[in-house]
Amino acid sequence: MDCAPFEPSLYIVKGIVIMDNDGNRLLANYYDKKAFPSTKEQKAFEKNLFSKTHRAAAEIIMLDGFICVYRSHVDLFFYIIGSAQENELLLMSALNTVYDSVQQILRKNVEKRALIDNLDVVILAIDEICDRGILLDADASSVVSRVALRADDIPIGEQTVAQVSFRNYIFWKCSSLPSAFLSRRVTC
Amino acid sequence: MSSFRKDKKDEEEGGSGNPFNNLEKASVLQEARAFNDTPVNPRKCTQILTKILYLINQGETLGAREATDAFFAMTKLFQSKDVILRRMVYLGIKELAPIAEDVIIVTSILTKDMTGKEDLYRPAAIRALCAITDTTMLQAIERYMRQAIVDKIPAVSCAALVSSLHMCQYSGEIVKRWVNEAQEAVNSDNIMVQYHALGLLYHIRKSDRLAVSKLVTKCTRMVLKSPYAACLLIRIACRLIKEEETGPDSPYLEFIESCLRHKSEIVIYEAAQALVNLKTSTSSTSSRELGPAVSVLQLFCSSPKPTLRFAAVRTLNKVAMTNPAAVAACNLDLENLITDVNRSIATLAITTLLKTGAESSVDR
Repeated sequence: MDCAPFEPSLYIVKGIVIMDNDGNRLLANYYDKKAFPSTKEQKAFEKNLFSKTHRAAAEIIMLDGFICVYRSHVDLFFYIIGSAQENELLLMSALNTVYDSVQQILRKNVEKRALIDNLDVVILAIDEICDRGILLDADASSVVSRVALRADDIPIGEQTVAQVSFRNYIFWKCSSLPSAFLSRRVTC
Repeated sequence: MSSFRKDKKDEEEGGSGNPFNNLEKASVLQEARAFNDTPVNPRKCTQILTKILYLINQGETLGAREATDAFFAMTKLFQSKDVILRRMVYLGIKELAPIAEDVIIVTSILTKDMTGKEDLYRPAAIRALCAITDTTMLQAIERYMRQAIVDKIPAVSCAALVSSLHMCQYSGEIVKRWVNEAQEAVNSDNIMVQYHALGLLYHIRKSDRLAVSKLVTKCTRMVLKSPYAACLLIRIACRLIKEEETGPDSPYLEFIESCLRHKSEIVIYEAAQALVNLKTSTSSTSSRELGPAVSVLQLFCSSPKPTLRFAAVRTLNKVAMTNPAAVAACNLDLENLITDVNRSIATLAITTLLKTGAESSVDR
């Protein structure tokens, strides 16, 4: 196996999966139709993967002939799946990009509830990071700059500097306030 | 603001539940009729579109009829100026393109977005467009694709390069003509553009060995900025060495060895792995030849990053199968890994030691 020439290719990511702490799929993108032809195989693989990884605090595992790098935070699990011959560090950099982008999108509040609330932006971010198995962008801040436009309901051009910084101030300083109060303050 | 969004959603869902729990395909597709409303309500439609994408993502399959209906409803959303909604529509197009019929109806609007002024739309529009294009349509947009490949915005250039690579599968002949543009993109300062351009160039030329070796020679001279491109180049060089069966003084080999001193760990590891694979596959290797690669891997063994330790020990394990003497120098480091918290690392360390260990280490 190892001596066979490994075809150089840009297609390095076989899958990106985000699960909750019960092992349920929140988002799953599989890019290799041969390795994971249908949802049935995918779910079986995820179940196996989750049972092997949800307790161990390691960040890499070899499973069913795939290398999986993973990372968990509060009640979320992030996985990147690649082939057994793949450079582990490349997969790791993809995982870091996914994690860092999600973290920036959710404003450090990486947990299931926040992810669900921002699912649209997270889906867009993953689409920006990986295109059919090719790593499209490995820089989280550039990914986020292209997707996380949500913060501004008014187009940025129509906002004053004071408005923008006031919003940010409110968000960072008062994030513990009841959200109803927050929205009233900001919209007025 | 996001808090405002949350409130609104909670109201809609009547409580704090997960809005994506217990979604039903039929009712979500029913909701998609709201796409036909004028004026478009961006927030509501984004939410519905997210639900559709979520359902597909969960493994729900849409029939051709359902997908086509949803697709045509979705095209109405192009009237909206909302950026997120627009981006979600691109995504929806990509998801539904393989199932729905007559998807080429959106070709002209995507072409407009791809060449338009709004930079946030352009990369995504290119990728969506290429997902619905076939060989005959491709000729119509060829000019725009060529321009996009050499665009000064990296995201646009990357999107065009990657899409071209996807399209090689069915329109290889057309994509081959874009070699000059790809060549220009290899010189880009952006690491991702360089990586994708090299990938596309290699794919176009891979059946022509002379062209590939020219490409590698050129790239090894220009010192690639991108670690990803460097990794790819190492792999291409490996392939050339194997095909040409050149001797130990091959310039490609020299290049790979020089990569052991690269500043990026990804490249160093790729080079070490390549050397190990190359040398262990040829019969007459001494442990001295493997030396530099093995000592790099030895360093990785004591890294605080589990991935790096895993990578190193996995590669050492491979070497140990054919050349245990070369790995013997790392025995001490490997012994430390036996108690590693990551069980995969520990197991690999043990099996490696079984091949290289001597009696003296049994006690420890």
